[in-house]
Amino acid sequence: MAEYDQPPLSHPVPPETPRAGFARGLSGAAILAALALACAAAPLMADGSAVHRLDADPVAAALLDGRGSLSFALLAAVLGGLLGIGWALLAGILGTLAGNRAERRTIAAAQRMAGWPLALLVPLAGGLMGPVWLLALVTALTAAPAVAALAHAELSSLMRAEFLTAARAAGLPEGEVVRRHLIPNLTRPLLAAGVLALPRVLAAESFASLLGLGLPPALGSWGASVGLAARLGDPVAFVPSALLLALALWAACAIADGIAAGHRKP
Amino acid sequence: MTDASVFGATKPAPVETEALTLMLGDRVLLDRATLRVERGQVLAVTGGAGSGKTALLGALAGRLPAGIDMAGTARVDGHLLIAQGGRLAPRRPLALQVAEVVGHHLGLDLRSSLRRMADGLDRMGVPAAARRFDLPPEQLPESLRWACLFAMAVAVGPVVLLADAPAAGLDPTVRLRLLHRLADWARADGVALVLAGRPEDGLAGPADRVLALRRARLLPPNPARTEPLEPLEPPGAARLHARGVGMSYPLAPGPGGTARSLPVLHGIDLDLRTGETLALLGETGSAKATLARSLLCLPPPTAGAVVWMGRDLTATATPPAAGDARGDDSDRGGVRRARRDLQPLFPDPAASFDPAMTIGTQFSLVLESLRPDIAADRRDHRIDEALEEAGLRPEAALRWPSALSVAEAAHAGLARAILSEPRVLVADEPASSLSAEERETFLDTLMGVRDRRRLSLVLATERYDEGLRDAHRGVVMLAGRVVESADAGTLRTAPLHPYSRAMLAAAHGERPALEGDAPSAFAQPAGCPLRRRCPLAREFCAQAVPTLEEVAPGHHVACHYWDTPADG
Repeated sequence: MAEYDQPPLSHPVPPETPRAGFARGLSGAAILAALALACAAAPLMADGSAVHRLDADPVAAALLDGRGSLSFALLAAVLGGLLGIGWALLAGILGTLAGNRAERRTIAAAQRMAGWPLALLVPLAGGLMGPVWLLALVTALTAAPAVAALAHAELSSLMRAEFLTAARAAGLPEGEVVRRHLIPNLTRPLLAAGVLALPRVLAAESFASLLGLGLPPALGSWGASVGLAARLGDPVAFVPSALLLALALWAACAIADGIAAGHRKP
Repeated sequence: MTDASVFGATKPAPVETEALTLMLGDRVLLDRATLRVERGQVLAVTGGAGSGKTALLGALAGRLPAGIDMAGTARVDGHLLIAQGGRLAPRRPLALQVAEVVGHHLGLDLRSSLRRMADGLDRMGVPAAARRFDLPPEQLPESLRWACLFAMAVAVGPVVLLADAPAAGLDPTVRLRLLHRLADWARADGVALVLAGRPEDGLAGPADRVLALRRARLLPPNPARTEPLEPLEPPGAARLHARGVGMSYPLAPGPGGTARSLPVLHGIDLDLRTGETLALLGETGSAKATLARSLLCLPPPTAGAVVWMGRDLTATATPPAAGDARGDDSDRGGVRRARRDLQPLFPDPAASFDPAMTIGTQFSLVLESLRPDIAADRRDHRIDEALEEAGLRPEAALRWPSALSVAEAAHAGLARAILSEPRVLVADEPASSLSAEERETFLDTLMGVRDRRRLSLVLATERYDEGLRDAHRGVVMLAGRVVESADAGTLRTAPLHPYSRAMLAAAHGERPALEGDAPSAFAQPAGCPLRRRCPLAREFCAQAVPTLEEVAPGHHVACHYWDTPADG
């Protein structure tokens, strides 16, 4: 039956179409979770008791290496995300207290540094410093500027949102505007900016380990096994580690994209 | 069968359709339309958003949009289609694009193509200095980009030119000037010109014939409402006063660290009386929206004072300094009481709702803040009443802002504004996102609310006639200054300032007597800001900014030569 009329003003709620990027983010999260579980269960796949990566089959060895890569990436990403978000919030607070100039300068430093090849600092730190926590801190610092720049852009765009003006027009004091409107709307963009650190630190650590200047051999790393297999000319050892690393990088990027796309307007 | 028009059938017309039907799924966009456009004839097809204008032009151009099914016949001779938004590659130099299009149609080389393009730009009234063929379109002003598109069409010289939403988004005076020039070319060169756009875009002005795409049929347009719904009641005493209101935005420090600012609003004086509707009229950059927000102190103006019922809002709405104990006061300086009385309507209603809360929750917050006297268990009832008065069902309170259509968001914005039972509504282009019937419905609802509640209304709009239709008084603004203020009747029939006259002409679809574009706020000319476009401009106009002078009781004009004929 042909329909001539326009829909009435208050029509029933149409079913929400899934937003772009949601499926990709979900796939990324599923893949990363599966990888993490597989890596955690890897010792069971090796022949029972003591685990010797060189003796294990290539897939089990790659999964064992993933334990080091993924846990280090998670630690560095949390640190990097927190540092970047803190940087963006600091710029915002400085802007409120000391004027736009202080805010611009604080965030301009992050924007400039985000364009530098900071990933080169990771092998440098790996070569010069011993402790893993120090390496994690340096890796986190390489990701923080990009996170800060993105988080600040999201924060600035939100601060100009019309609904905040509408809240002020409703007589809400600034504290209430921040508590009821700004913070609930800020959580997701900041999370999206923070998740951006995960693929960056994973790539930086793998790059450093590929050169032999990353995580200590006892921890294991996909980058280190790819580098070793390449040096030995062993394609059977090379392929599983390289594939798992590529899959983890794709999954981390997909999660970041999915969260970023989720809070944008359709 | 829709028989749009039948002209003399002796000679085939360049555009002919027979029982043309367009379907989008099971929805009929166009029902058996028979159409004929002769050479040298200009046809305007108007319709609201989603009415099928683009699909119709696509069918005529033989390029149906995806998902549209067509029945019937459409015969169009050698046509050229200017697509919606004027699709030029944004970063490719204009000369290369001109050479590509003109060369494709006429087989000419770059030099000949540019020569024809220059002729086209002459016909569009673009001065030689503005012809920068080496620039990419993204670096051209919007009006020049549209003039280039039209000039490209002139250079190609098609038998039929189809233009979808031509010059949409430009200021009315600039848009109408370009459309009239395009229509002049079509008539002079015997080109059949079909313009499609929204009814409020003024396409009807330069057209010989207008058809409205309504309920899937091409029909003569409904005449627009020209009088208020109800006779306007005389306003009462003045309650809101603006004195010397100015606004400057800070810029980056200059050389030597000197502080710089960009003044956009210059010492406006205004009084608003009880029950009065005041139209703030002006185009892009006129600072009407800045003035509207300054009246609400959102943010407070940087100069002057806004006084509501004897209380200076500018002082009370300024955020307290850090550590100031007054900041904890629940109603510091009575500003919350003033917010209750003065409520805004936003130009983008959908963006004015917090996406993380339902409409009802946001309305409850408004009531909790502005109407603490209404008990919590009575709030839902009050919200339902406001939604119904604004033309929505009470269930709208349960919905999330992202689930509202644009029209529903506009009505919900109105409902929120009247929740606190204000005395003044300050509406900044409240219907700018709406089109055709939706727009009229919203404005009718707004005026109904105003009349029922005897509200004062400040309506900022670039649509001259529409703004004045329901207003007692109008204020015409240009570059942050008032250039004419008078009662609405005078401004609708006999405005004196050349800018007001141009806006009136554009609103009636006539050719405005202004050339060029409005200057940027960063490059305002010395003296009168209109002097580079004005037909009355003399040398003295560069010497001094004209001040408002009273030319008749209640009628003020700021022009050095308002009483001088253009050719004098």
